[in-house]
Amino acid sequence: MDIFISTIIRISVAVGVSGLLFIAFNYFFSQPTRRWRLFNTITGAFFGLIYFGILDGNRFLGDVGPTLIFWPVLGAVAGGAICGTLSDTEKPTVRIPLAVGTLVAFGVLQGAAWRSDFLPSLDWGAALVWTFAAGVILGTAGLAIRRDLIKAGNWAIVGLTVGWMLGAWGGADFGAGGSRWEAYAASIVGLTLIGIRLGFTKIPDDAVRIQLDTGSRKYIFLTPALAFISLGLLIPLVRTIYLSFLARTEGGRTVTDLSWVGLENYGFIFTSNQSLNLSGWSNFFTSRLVWWGGGLLGIAVIIAFVQKFKSPDGRPSLSGGSVSPFVIGWFLIVTAVFATLRGTILNNLWWVFFVTLMATGLGLMISVLADKAKMESSAKSLIFMPMAISFVGAGIIWRFMFIARDTQKPQTGLFNSIWVGFGQLSTTNSWTGIFAIAVLIGIISGLAIFSYLSWRSNANKLALFSLLGSALGGFLLYRLIGPGLGGVITRTITVDGEKVTQSIPNTILFIEEAPFNNLWLMVILIWIQTGFAMVIFSAAIKAVPGEFIEAARVDGATESQIFWRITIPQIATTIGVVVTTLIVLVMKVYDIVKVMTNGNFGTQVLANDMWNRAFQDRNWGLGSALAVILFIAVLPIMFYNIRRMQKIET
Amino acid sequence: MTNTQSSSSQASTALPSDKAAIGASPGKNAGRSKLPKDAGVGRFVYGSLRRIPTWILWILVVLWTTPTIGLLVNSFRDKDTQRSSAFWTVFRGNFEGLTLENYQEVLGNEVQGGFWTGIANSFAIAIPSTIIPIAIAAFAAYAFAWIEFRGREWMFIITVSLLAIPNQVALIPLLQMLNNGAHVTIPGLEKTVTLFPDFNLVGTTNAVWLTHTAFAMPFAIFLLHNYLSSLPKDIFEAARIDGADHFTIFWRLVLPLSVPVLAAFAIFQFLWTYNDYLIAVTMISGNGSALPTTVKMVAQTGEFGDLEHLLTAGAFVQAVVPLIVFFSLQRYFVRGILAGSVKG
Repeated sequence: MDIFISTIIRISVAVGVSGLLFIAFNYFFSQPTRRWRLFNTITGAFFGLIYFGILDGNRFLGDVGPTLIFWPVLGAVAGGAICGTLSDTEKPTVRIPLAVGTLVAFGVLQGAAWRSDFLPSLDWGAALVWTFAAGVILGTAGLAIRRDLIKAGNWAIVGLTVGWMLGAWGGADFGAGGSRWEAYAASIVGLTLIGIRLGFTKIPDDAVRIQLDTGSRKYIFLTPALAFISLGLLIPLVRTIYLSFLARTEGGRTVTDLSWVGLENYGFIFTSNQSLNLSGWSNFFTSRLVWWGGGLLGIAVIIAFVQKFKSPDGRPSLSGGSVSPFVIGWFLIVTAVFATLRGTILNNLWWVFFVTLMATGLGLMISVLADKAKMESSAKSLIFMPMAISFVGAGIIWRFMFIARDTQKPQTGLFNSIWVGFGQLSTTNSWTGIFAIAVLIGIISGLAIFSYLSWRSNANKLALFSLLGSALGGFLLYRLIGPGLGGVITRTITVDGEKVTQSIPNTILFIEEAPFNNLWLMVILIWIQTGFAMVIFSAAIKAVPGEFIEAARVDGATESQIFWRITIPQIATTIGVVVTTLIVLVMKVYDIVKVMTNGNFGTQVLANDMWNRAFQDRNWGLGSALAVILFIAVLPIMFYNIRRMQKIET
Repeated sequence: MTNTQSSSSQASTALPSDKAAIGASPGKNAGRSKLPKDAGVGRFVYGSLRRIPTWILWILVVLWTTPTIGLLVNSFRDKDTQRSSAFWTVFRGNFEGLTLENYQEVLGNEVQGGFWTGIANSFAIAIPSTIIPIAIAAFAAYAFAWIEFRGREWMFIITVSLLAIPNQVALIPLLQMLNNGAHVTIPGLEKTVTLFPDFNLVGTTNAVWLTHTAFAMPFAIFLLHNYLSSLPKDIFEAARIDGADHFTIFWRLVLPLSVPVLAAFAIFQFLWTYNDYLIAVTMISGNGSALPTTVKMVAQTGEFGDLEHLLTAGAFVQAVVPLIVFFSLQRYFVRGILAGSVKG
């Protein structure tokens, strides 16, 4: 229980402190219009605190009092005093000497506070060069930008200050032959310059103070978010790109420091067999998937022509009858491409292609099926449920679905159980097998008759689908009677000099058998993401105006015409959104591959490869290069999103 | 199994959905009756064809729930039963080997600091990485929606364009920064300046929620901005006339009005961070006592052979919290997903 209590305390402290800081900043910036002196004092104290805090945190100041308490507090008091005094002094003849004087005093304090074994020995040359260079550069820049001598002067003073800080402090050697006087000098010169700059400022009038009040809000509201974005996303992104040009190896030997290797990491990725292996391209033409796909494409063409003759205007029209074999045919051919051309990068593309297509398609289908069905909401929430389960949990869940037990024992995984069950159906001469054959014959002939009847009555689509169903049934029947349907292998063994043909169950190692194990891993992500697609499509379909559909019905449109001609165009943008969201999500798939195979058995994907290279092998360069490839892959989606948003804004 | 499934869900939601279905049915039938009846095929065939969609829907629902139910059943069966018989035999009356031992073992197990520690760590990650991004993103979204300043447009576009960026591109530098701090060497002076000190964050849950907070920003700002910018302009103008400053408007007006969208994002983010594996394993892989449940489970899958039977119970214990959140607050969750995708 202790861990729960300490967790709660830590969380409350983090949340409370962040909240209080935000409220305090808001309160503080309401002060300029009400209590100007208080505002100035707190500002000065803040800067004093930060300034001495940084110095003390880096162990530049002497060991007096508790670390990070004594000096920062003293700095805050001094800073508060300086700004408080300056807040009401308006006459330049008083203000300038006062500002310079107080800041010189502050410089003396800093010089005295410096740790005695860490005194700077100044490189005067460097200090002067930096000071004047920065002063001249900023002064000229000020003149060029503001076109005003006084403002340019102000810029020049800022430049001098920055130059001195960098040149004197940056160029100094600490703790090696420096003296206290040099510490005084380095402190006082810099702070005097700040004093001069402060002396030339005017006390703002009410308008400026109101501007300070309202103008500060955008910073208060935006800074936390922008800080997180730049520290956590933008700067790391730039650095990752930089790191991707570095490597531990140089000319074949390993060196300790990362050194610049240019595009070598990328070259390695694109030439390595592991990430891009095109050597199997010739298998593509012998792949059975290609023949099936090609056959379906042929069927699609035939159907299109038949419809051309049957349709009144004599043109080949796109309809479900020709489009669906066309789509499935292409789908099979693309699958064959990914199954023959291997490698990490192509695996990723395969994931993107298959998961996006299937999740979008299934999501759309389910949302249409569920629309206005009985118990719509419970059906949808059950399909949506996997979204709440972690990728890791989903992987474990599906592991038990894919599991393959010893072939002689009962299968506990659902998939192998079905597979082996079918196999036994055709090998064992049981009543179940005969019954199955009878049922199949019934279905085949029923569908064939139905197909003929539909053809006669011009219901082409029904005719086609039942014909295809009938053909599929015939194929299944052939497998069932002939070589065996499902998980069974026939082998001939020699027992006592006699050849015996024996049929034994055969399981599929869903997770280990490349390349199609990739598809089974993708099933997991489809299982999760279909719910996401479904929810969005469901809302979009419900938003299609009812009048459109009613009007179409009155005009005699069929349900499928309404779906293809009205619903789909109405939800086209939503489909775009779902597809892009899914592409981005699938592109960086990681957890599932990690849990199931960790990239073994030819299932490696970019994100997992990147993690293993970077965090296991500590090969930052190669890991970064893989991450950059991921980044480049989503760039088109990023631009698409930006374009869409700009359209919405206008 | 089909029957168990559908009857239980029927019991829970019978009233409202049945009413909805009845309300919708006349229109539906009116539409269907316009189908060509002279198709030459009997009424019976059309009648059964008409019911096919519902059948397909429920077959899909069964397919979708089977894996989870299988795991749930297996988590209550002992090691040998899990290995020798399939989970669906339970529905045929095979009650052999039913036990609670898996759960006792998972929750009582002190391996890697125990599962309870894992759950506490998951909360220690998920709660701050839900609350803090909401607050910060709400400020920023308010500024982008209702404070006028130069560069607002392009800053917003940059922020939101980061939505698509894979987290992987930031992980290596982030880990390096949290591990060693960030240092820059000034050219020509050979001096190193520390930009971000080493706070010893790596190996703690703090590193994880800080990272989650950064990664959540684009989506959170996008989502909240969508909502806030759709609020009527009049209320803001009226409040300004009454002399309210931005902080007061934000605190008194915007926060109470945007509770629904805040809740939507909160649920989304909670589920995401509670279930996260990548960032946790990257940031705290070395420190066993700070690991959340997801990382602990993956470590267990490595020892698949021996502890396989415990994975089932472990996966369920891990999933219990998200599932409760999901089923009790599903409406808000759906709303969050819709607001995040359809509007944009």
